[in-house]
Amino acid sequence: MNNRLKVLRAERSWSQQDLADRLGVSRQSVNAIETGRYDPSLPLAFTIADLFGLPIEAIFTRD
Amino acid sequence: MTSDHATPATTAGHGPGFWAGLYCASIAIIATLRITDAIPTPVGLTLFVGAMALLIPLVRAAERRSAAKGCMNAVIVRYNRRMLTASMGYVLGLGIAIALWNAYDLSGPVVFAIALLPTLPTFGMIWAMGRYLVEETDEYLRYRTMLAAIISLGMVLATGIFWGFLEMFELVPHIWAWWVLPVWSGGLGVAQLWMKVRGE
Repeated sequence: MNNRLKVLRAERSWSQQDLADRLGVSRQSVNAIETGRYDPSLPLAFTIADLFGLPIEAIFTRD
Repeated sequence: MTSDHATPATTAGHGPGFWAGLYCASIAIIATLRITDAIPTPVGLTLFVGAMALLIPLVRAAERRSAAKGCMNAVIVRYNRRMLTASMGYVLGLGIAIALWNAYDLSGPVVFAIALLPTLPTFGMIWAMGRYLVEETDEYLRYRTMLAAIISLGMVLATGIFWGFLEMFELVPHIWAWWVLPVWSGGLGVAQLWMKVRGE
């Protein structure tokens, strides 16, 4: 699965740690999701979508 | 998701490598003194327990480093405290059990009781691992731990089965079944390292 997390984060000038703090996860998790090494669960994907104020499909896309 | 995840902290003092080196050197020296009969068993046991205290600054240094990388949270801290306590209980329990076994001609229920001395702390370690998986709210960290546990379990099964047949055909000596825990723990470390090398 692909995602626009890095772009969305950069638009807000957030570091990975900033995003991790807002999501209540570790920086490792944000890094793993951003680089496509880990696909988040549906609850976490919803939390990410809520944080950016976007629908999930606007952030996560199929390969 | 909770606010268990701490923000990065700066590292201060000696790194975990320093304390790990000091701990290993201490254990090696004490073991050498004991094997060469330079010190009696009670003194060796006391020194071993004393050396275990080095694990406290080692764990704290590792926690500082992890916090600086943004991978430390309250659940991991709790897990480390529980494992540290269980490890100290294990060394103490094992030492007392061996000392009693060597000093007295024990049999029956008493032997059962002294076998429990090192066993119960290892149950504590297993419980601590289980609690970590239950309490960890970061799904990625939980996924990594579960993956490492499964890889390690595979190693224990493979090693155990292979060793068992080698032992049956009298190619290798008998080893005690409690070795599964240290082998599994070692496997966890190997699995974590393997995932790190793969960039996971």
